[in-house]
Amino acid sequence: MRQPNPEDARAGRSMIPRLSSLARFTFVDVILWALRIGVVFVVVGGTIGTLLKGRYGAAQWFDFLVFGLTIGSVYALIALGYTMVYGVLRLINFAHGDIMMTGAFAGYYVASTFAENGMLDRSPVLAMVIILVVAVATSTTIAVLTERIAYRPFRHVRGFAPLICAIGVSFFLEQTFRGALGASIRAYPDPKWQHEMIDVFGFGVPRVEALVVIAAIVSMIVLYLVVQRTRMGTAMRAVSEDTDAAAMMGIDVNKVVVFTFALGGIMAGIAGVCYAFVFKQVYFFMGFTPGIKAFGAAVLGGIGSVPGAMLGGFFLGLVESIGPALFLDGIGIPAPYQLRDLIAFTLLIMVLIFRPYGILGERMAKKRA
Amino acid sequence: MSYIKTWAIATLAVAALTGTSAVQAETKGPVTDPIGVLAIPKGAPIQFGGYWVMSGADSALGIDAKRGVEIAFKDHGGKLLGHPLKINVEDDLCNAEGGQTAATKLAANPNTAIVLGSACSSAATPAAPILWKAGITDIGTADTAPSLTAADRKPEYDGFMRTCYSDIDQGAADAKYVYGTLKAKKIVTIHDGSPYAQQLAMVMGDNFKKMGGTVLSVEAVAPTDVDMHPVLTRIATEKPDVIYAPIFVAAGAQLLRQSKEIPGLAKVPLIGSSGMMAPDMIEAARESIVGFKITYPDVSPEAMGKGYPKLVEEYKKEFGEAPISGYHANAYDAAELAMKGIEKVAKTDASGTTYIGRKALRDALLKITFEGTAGPIKCDAHGQCAQFKPAVYEFTNGDPKTFKIGENPKKIWP
Repeated sequence: MRQPNPEDARAGRSMIPRLSSLARFTFVDVILWALRIGVVFVVVGGTIGTLLKGRYGAAQWFDFLVFGLTIGSVYALIALGYTMVYGVLRLINFAHGDIMMTGAFAGYYVASTFAENGMLDRSPVLAMVIILVVAVATSTTIAVLTERIAYRPFRHVRGFAPLICAIGVSFFLEQTFRGALGASIRAYPDPKWQHEMIDVFGFGVPRVEALVVIAAIVSMIVLYLVVQRTRMGTAMRAVSEDTDAAAMMGIDVNKVVVFTFALGGIMAGIAGVCYAFVFKQVYFFMGFTPGIKAFGAAVLGGIGSVPGAMLGGFFLGLVESIGPALFLDGIGIPAPYQLRDLIAFTLLIMVLIFRPYGILGERMAKKRA
Repeated sequence: MSYIKTWAIATLAVAALTGTSAVQAETKGPVTDPIGVLAIPKGAPIQFGGYWVMSGADSALGIDAKRGVEIAFKDHGGKLLGHPLKINVEDDLCNAEGGQTAATKLAANPNTAIVLGSACSSAATPAAPILWKAGITDIGTADTAPSLTAADRKPEYDGFMRTCYSDIDQGAADAKYVYGTLKAKKIVTIHDGSPYAQQLAMVMGDNFKKMGGTVLSVEAVAPTDVDMHPVLTRIATEKPDVIYAPIFVAAGAQLLRQSKEIPGLAKVPLIGSSGMMAPDMIEAARESIVGFKITYPDVSPEAMGKGYPKLVEEYKKEFGEAPISGYHANAYDAAELAMKGIEKVAKTDASGTTYIGRKALRDALLKITFEGTAGPIKCDAHGQCAQFKPAVYEFTNGDPKTFKIGENPKKIWP
């Protein structure tokens, strides 16, 4: 028998993958590549076009940046709740946006009482702290109750039941608030001090927006420290790594899960108050859209990753705010802000195509699936 | 041969399937009609259908219309040709899916004589063809999109007519106000993608351009958008004299509030339209609503029909509050028109059974003229039965309890 020539074998080894990768180049790949090229074309062409047109000055770009950071910080705060629960339970808590709504509603009643008796103008710091505490207490209580009543019985159920249950909880919260408090849209109080401009690098920023961004960043840093530096945070990370092993090491998994939901609830409460003070409207359905966007942000950043959720939230907010003006104006698309969600979700799809595990996500699919 | 046979059977099968719901010529009692005859036995009620928005943020619009119809029935003693009058109301949610479901339910009732509604063009657009396919005429009470009664509308809309104006007229009037009275030369329009807002913004913009003005851009937002800052910043770079935004409550209140925060837009007036005439608008916008102007049909007693003050009195007596929206008179007139039409074409035999020819009813309705509570009713061939009387209202107070059309907001033009 003739011995195979090592030269041939080398050539063969190097030939086979190339041929098979060509053969595997299906029409789906063609479409994906066309999509990538199309997006790059729109982004690059649009940006060049917009900058050449010179329609927006530095002040406008700075405003877009601030608006993006403001809504982005709300997305980031909500996304943290999604990502932590996913990390610990592998559950997408679709009701999380509505938990934000419950906090905003609770804050509304306190805020309007304070607006009526003048406290919101007299001692704004104290008033805001009380509003925040009430909102956080409400959303945390509801988040923890949701876990205890709706999710815990499903914890060891495989399949889609927990997800369907989460969607059910979302409807339940929306419709309960609608039934109890009415379907109309309510306006948050609008004290004057919130509109006063503060100077940032020579540009004016409304105080309330600066406050929201700062509040969001501070809460995120605190949350990060809690997760990284405390015993409970370490337990959380252990459960997220391997529930069974963590239980065997003596970690009380139930306690960790409740703690996770409570942290998510706190972040949702802060998000609710921030959202309501910037956008001034509360109604029973207000949590749905930000909830979906924040879920997108969590996936974008890498679901399960705490810094990823923060980054994803800010990134999504910025793209929504700057994207239409920067990418679409330049290629002459009329009414670009109508396509804001399209840009945001195209971005999400692109990230999932290029990096299915998100910007900061780990390759969980291989390790855990 | 066998091919021909197969084809013939297939064709017949298809015809049978598609023909089951289609209407056909029918003779019942003394009446023959090309699309069907409704027979109402002695003592049985004459059943009207109604579909309006009965829940959610825009429900004032629908509840107000239903009340108008109820008063019209009461004024008739609750009876027509010896039969009691009955209305079956469906909630259309002010959207296309709701309209489709409502119309399907009403069309499935073989005793539906005529349908009144909707208050939303997005609901009427899919609903009217479903009803007409079942041979049922639909009289709109506040659905004002131009396409519903346009000269080139499709035949499936033949059964639709309305006792409210068309936005063609409102768009023209709004352009006249903005160009002539506000002396604006450059405007930006904003719609929310709904047929009503989109068509009204377009008609207004076209008229504005014809008068010599410039429409700098046509912007759009989603009805659920909350962050209007970026789109408003974009608009600010165009330096418009006026922003015209005929949208609905939620997005409208956000635009109003946020436009005051954008450098360069603080003094640019935002003009809204009929979709924002509701107490909920004040609730959503609060103090920022003071000074906000909306264009609306003139519903002051002087501008309405002779019977209007009496209708308002009855409304207050019956429901314990002033009218909650502006289209109850149009709904009253729609009910009145429907009853006049039925009286005209219905025939009763010796046993007391009343017969109504469905096409005859539609044809008769288009010919009836009378002085309605909202103004004269006279239909053109495409079902447009009322005219627009323009007015502009301005909100004066940020407390939702003070909402009363004529006071807050109060009429400032003409």
